[in-house]
Amino acid sequence: MAAESVHKVLFEHEGVFIQPSSDEDAITQDLLVSGSLRIIDRDGEIIVEYRPLEDTVDPSNMLCAGKDSSSVVEWTQCPGDRSQQLLETQHSYETEWDMVNAVSFRKKPCTNGEGSMNHSHERSRWAFTFSVGDLRSITVREEGWTFLICKLKDSSSLPALHFHQGGSREFLDNLRRFALLTESLDDETCLLLSTPNKTLSQSFENLLDDNNFGIVHKFRKDPYVTTLGGFSKVTNYLFDALRGAEEQHQRPPEEVADLLGEVIPGLEINQQEEPGFEVITRIDLGTRPQVTRREPLSVEDWAKYQDPEGRMINISQLKQAIFKGGLYHAVRKEAWKFLLGYFPWDSTLEERKALQRTKTDEYFRMKLQWKSVSEEQERRNSRLRDYRSLIEKDVNRTDRTNRFYEGIDNPGLVLLHDILMTYCMFDFDLGYVQGMSDLLSPILYVMENEVDAFWCFVSFMDQMHQNFEEQMQGMKNQLIQLSLLLRLLDLVFWNYLESQDSGYLYFCFRWLLIRFKRELSFQDVLRLWEVMWTGLPCQNFHLLVCCAILDSEKQKIMEENFGFNEILKHINELSMKLDIEEILQKAEGICLQIKGCKDLPHSISGILGFDTNVCGSNAEDSGSPGPRPRQRQDACSNGHLRESSSHNSCSVAFIS
Amino acid sequence: MTTKTSLLKVILLGDGGVGKSSIMNRYVTNKFDAHLFHTIGVEFLNKDLEVDGHQVTLQIWDTAGQERFRSLRTPFYRGSDCCLLTFSVDDNQSFLNLGNWKKEFIYYADVKEPEKFPFIILGNKLDVTERQVSTEEAKQWCQENGDYPYYETSAKDATNVAVAFEEAVRRVLAMDERTDHLIPTDTVKLHRKPRSAATCCS
Repeated sequence: MAAESVHKVLFEHEGVFIQPSSDEDAITQDLLVSGSLRIIDRDGEIIVEYRPLEDTVDPSNMLCAGKDSSSVVEWTQCPGDRSQQLLETQHSYETEWDMVNAVSFRKKPCTNGEGSMNHSHERSRWAFTFSVGDLRSITVREEGWTFLICKLKDSSSLPALHFHQGGSREFLDNLRRFALLTESLDDETCLLLSTPNKTLSQSFENLLDDNNFGIVHKFRKDPYVTTLGGFSKVTNYLFDALRGAEEQHQRPPEEVADLLGEVIPGLEINQQEEPGFEVITRIDLGTRPQVTRREPLSVEDWAKYQDPEGRMINISQLKQAIFKGGLYHAVRKEAWKFLLGYFPWDSTLEERKALQRTKTDEYFRMKLQWKSVSEEQERRNSRLRDYRSLIEKDVNRTDRTNRFYEGIDNPGLVLLHDILMTYCMFDFDLGYVQGMSDLLSPILYVMENEVDAFWCFVSFMDQMHQNFEEQMQGMKNQLIQLSLLLRLLDLVFWNYLESQDSGYLYFCFRWLLIRFKRELSFQDVLRLWEVMWTGLPCQNFHLLVCCAILDSEKQKIMEENFGFNEILKHINELSMKLDIEEILQKAEGICLQIKGCKDLPHSISGILGFDTNVCGSNAEDSGSPGPRPRQRQDACSNGHLRESSSHNSCSVAFIS
Repeated sequence: MTTKTSLLKVILLGDGGVGKSSIMNRYVTNKFDAHLFHTIGVEFLNKDLEVDGHQVTLQIWDTAGQERFRSLRTPFYRGSDCCLLTFSVDDNQSFLNLGNWKKEFIYYADVKEPEKFPFIILGNKLDVTERQVSTEEAKQWCQENGDYPYYETSAKDATNVAVAFEEAVRRVLAMDERTDHLIPTDTVKLHRKPRSAATCCS
């Protein structure tokens, strides 16, 4: 018995499913058994062991699994830590990590810890083990997730292993320590095993023998086409072996992704050193409510929300109306000033006139500052010179097909230039960063007034400032937050992206930097922005807009098995092909769907602002995890949400 | 000679507004739009071509040039087979910055032997009348910095654009040839004369 022998667990991964009653190829929604997969060194023999975790479950149970809250890991922060404040006071990479260190987590005891090897009691009939030496081949299939079909040398077949929560690559990576896996010549998804009594490096020498060179050559020829689907790391592995031999070759996009991971710390999703350390929670999101959009708000409607002195009334109802339908264009010039915070909602008409007078003086004072810089002075001011040079270039490349900016010497261009230059004087540290002209252009188009446009732009920039700062912290935060949301909403898709080294969601960069300005038609940008500026229906609604767009694209991306480059290209090429009303409808539906979920992780409710009580009773758990808190996985066999791995915990903590 | 189709990654680097996207678009779609948006993030286009009997797919990467975007731009340098350092002949500053771009590329692309890496220099906007950088100046820089090929291009009227990309392919293939024949040992150091690359492909 295993309990008596000397054994060492070399690899362990939970959330691996088998379907005992169905055949391997047809994925019938029958019985699902979930369990853990291990590689064990038993007295020198390498054994693969599968054992079910707990009761067998059917898919319906899986979908309403949220009631088992014991499996939900709660993220808590030190008392007094408000995530908002933390985000705002963050100045550098270092402080970010300091903060991560100050965050702790509470976990429930797991039912399947290290001691489980000795538990012989609940061994169900679905458990199986085999020696790696008896293994003939492993076939790798993709079905939105990865599943592996193992065949033994006696031609017997074992139940397919479905990696619904990832981990197949880690499993294979670990297997490769003891066996040589080579692609079958007639079926590229089939890996043949041989177990030479040699070290791994020697195995690779075998690979480079003439006999095997065909395989290697095939990898070399077109590494960008991920013929093995989510199995790319294996090809990369082979590839690394070749690197020494041949200098010139394509490096896999994985390298790019790894570097992006360094740039966006806290999202090191591909770097699991210890695949066993995963926390799994299951969240029942329920069905997504259908929502309808309404008509835009008209001038008459707007007037109804104004008292005789010009104060806006019933503001929450007004915002709701704008959120649901947007504004007719004629209302925008006035309404945007309120939405952006240039005009206070409770100001009277008189007060606003006075405000505009003051702001006009202030604007021209700052405009005069750069206007009066002589050529001599500018020669000695490289930053101003660089700002001016880039503004001049970019103004000529912003919305030039729009009537307001088309043609040569269009006054719109001069205004765009002058406002951006004045903004440099308003905030010289930030100055001008590419993308800002995109944010200004619609505002100027609506305001048709230099001063009003400037101050509305200043308000908008207050929201967007972090995106453009030196460290681009705003961008990094948003990418991390988006990744968390996507993982909650669609683990299968998220796993797919991860398997294609795209878990960093880099392809959403442009969406986030300039709030979809380049993705939508000009008129649709106006609609989206006014909807977002209401602050409804939740905080960071724009991230749900991202989720809504991705939701519409995921099928194509997964069906066509897009890799890192193809995903980036596909997303870039969505520009101008999106339907704003459809997206807003879906995004609102997603918001309601998440809001209706009871066992929402704090990380998620924190992002969307559903958390009004921060910390609460869990605050005492803020012990002292190291810089990279690790934790045992919770016993949850069929989770829909992989809440965090050891590294991800940083990112979860960061925003929770 | 083999007939395989190779995927080659080339990357366009240079200051904002020198015309990187325009060069890429001219080459791949043969169109020019003077008012094309400035690039946000990274983009790439593919183009199939045949050079000296080799079928090649060029994957051309285009990036945002502003300093601020460096950290999210540089990861994409990895795996490049060739780098097109671009400046605009009517913008002296963009010419002065070539060295910085080269340095940034070598550092982040993790080029093993920088002195052998195929750079190509493009002086774009040849169509403008008021030049700030003379051909001689540019050629001299190329000579002194690694004997790089230099092309004066105009994305607007298509001058020298295709030629420059084809040269990029030749340079990469020449590198390939050389490494294919020489099993990598230290002996490659004997063959470091950059000029040798241009001829071994004919």
